[in-house]
Amino acid sequence: MPLLECKGLVRRFGALVALDAVDMSVDSGKIRAVIGPNGAGKSTMFNLITSVLRPTAGEVIFAGESITGLPVHAVAQKGIARTFQLCHIFPALTARENVRIAAQARDHRRWRFVAGADVLASSAVVADEALERLRLTRFTHVPAAFLSHGDQRLLEVAMALAQKPRLLMLDEPTQGLSLEETDRAVEILNDLLRDGNLSVLLVEHDMEVVFKLAHDITVLHRGRVIADGPPAAVRANAAVRSAYLGESE
Amino acid sequence: MVPKSWAGFCERLMLNAASGAGYRFEETSSRSLVDWRIGFAATAIIGVLMPFVLPQYSLTVLIEALIFGLLAMSLDLLVGYCRLYSFGHAAAYGLGAYSAALILTQLQLPLPAGIALAVLVTVVAAVPIAWICTRSTGVSFAMLTLAFAQLGYAMLFRFRDITGGSDGIVGIPRPAGPFGMSWFQGKTGYYYLVLGCLLGAYLLCRAIVRSPFGAVLAGIRENEAKTIALGYNTRAYKTATVVLAYGFGGLAGALYAAFAGFASPELFFWLVSGRVLIMVVVGGAGTLIGPILGGVFFVFLEHELSQVTDLWPLIFGSIFMAFVLFAPEGIWRLLTIRFKAVPDVPTADPSKKKSDAAA
Repeated sequence: MPLLECKGLVRRFGALVALDAVDMSVDSGKIRAVIGPNGAGKSTMFNLITSVLRPTAGEVIFAGESITGLPVHAVAQKGIARTFQLCHIFPALTARENVRIAAQARDHRRWRFVAGADVLASSAVVADEALERLRLTRFTHVPAAFLSHGDQRLLEVAMALAQKPRLLMLDEPTQGLSLEETDRAVEILNDLLRDGNLSVLLVEHDMEVVFKLAHDITVLHRGRVIADGPPAAVRANAAVRSAYLGESE
Repeated sequence: MVPKSWAGFCERLMLNAASGAGYRFEETSSRSLVDWRIGFAATAIIGVLMPFVLPQYSLTVLIEALIFGLLAMSLDLLVGYCRLYSFGHAAAYGLGAYSAALILTQLQLPLPAGIALAVLVTVVAAVPIAWICTRSTGVSFAMLTLAFAQLGYAMLFRFRDITGGSDGIVGIPRPAGPFGMSWFQGKTGYYYLVLGCLLGAYLLCRAIVRSPFGAVLAGIRENEAKTIALGYNTRAYKTATVVLAYGFGGLAGALYAAFAGFASPELFFWLVSGRVLIMVVVGGAGTLIGPILGGVFFVFLEHELSQVTDLWPLIFGSIFMAFVLFAPEGIWRLLTIRFKAVPDVPTADPSKKKSDAAA
């Protein structure tokens, strides 16, 4: 049974059909990439899975349970962590506090408003671990606003990791990075995703990144799935080549 | 730094006031070089010694100043920690004052119990208000809070039999007890009661904003969408914070009613909301101490200036504008900026350096 399953997801914005009967799944311990040109519906799919948007039709099933229509925070509590396409961090807080707040979200004592020292301490341990894995330890006490754009994106991944997710969703983690930053980010993400038994849903623009990281690839085009399979098969697929890779026969 | 045009001036005024440029750098990023406990103890000692050095009249002003400081600090929980701009904090003040007035005149309760009950009444009344107001953010939150305060104001005139209408409630006693205690009946004793409440409330608020709960509030202030995406039900956190702010604001109102001996509709009026918001911004939102200083500063200034000139509201407004434009971080951060250690920002990637060295 797949960890995450989207069944016949449809989302319309007025007359525009952003997603049209999309089926997609993420298996446990696998990395699934979703690619497609701008406007293909990748972000819409992300927003439907995380409940930021409600689907017009269809269902999202996570770990055998329908999560369609749950509040956004409840979806996160089920064990789905995401990063945003436009970096979402807490700029005035230190890198550690950013990640610590993320870690605290999974602690049932997160509500404590007095006598919370042990909550703060245990989540700080998780935070330091996550910072270490993203190689951000040197920024521990630095306000997040002072980090470079590339490091801010990695910080957001560290936050997602600190949530101890069952499914990690990364929305274009290398978007807006310089070539050098992209190489570094891909190297770090590669280490992270290869050694852990994480289940990942990755939306990415950069083909090299996708073919390097993903086990399975879904190709979206104008809201429809036009190809689905391992990287080699997708790369060879004629429909993909004409629709996306811009090659004519 | 001075904007060239009038439009630029207005724009900067609004931007600074709205974005709260004051709390760009969180306490966690810059460490104080002075232990806060020393500062707190020193302040408490100075507070205790005040009645021995101040004349009776000034003590009256000081009591009022501390009460306003408490009210401003309670509003800071919303403004400084959640970036929720309440334009109706007079509702908390008025609710506390009228509850205390009714309880102390109608029930035969000792003063401390009466005040505690008034705070409880305010907290209970705040729950539905908070739940409704937190449906929105930004300007609509401000308008909703203002609406509730004005609703309270209007109800005072609607239910004259209970509230006394425009006359308010007069002759509020300060009953002795429990255990025959009566030290708070005199002015000096009452000053110590107010001082104790303020110091206790400060310690409690300080603990709250540094707790796991407080960290979530910082998240809401910095980026609410992200905080929700992390799995926090932010509406519940905001509702709880509004209720807390009402509780402390209600305490200020109850202390005022029992001190002044009367509760009048003015306490519910939007002017109070505006003044206390100005105190928070001028004192320094997001610092707790700043708004207390802001409250004390403005109450004393008002008392001094109103003896000299009728134009003191003009001066009040000018000071506010000057702070928003030139020192949006507020009084407290202006005073303490020299005592903060600024963090170093590492730029180079050390892992890269190591691999270079190895190569």
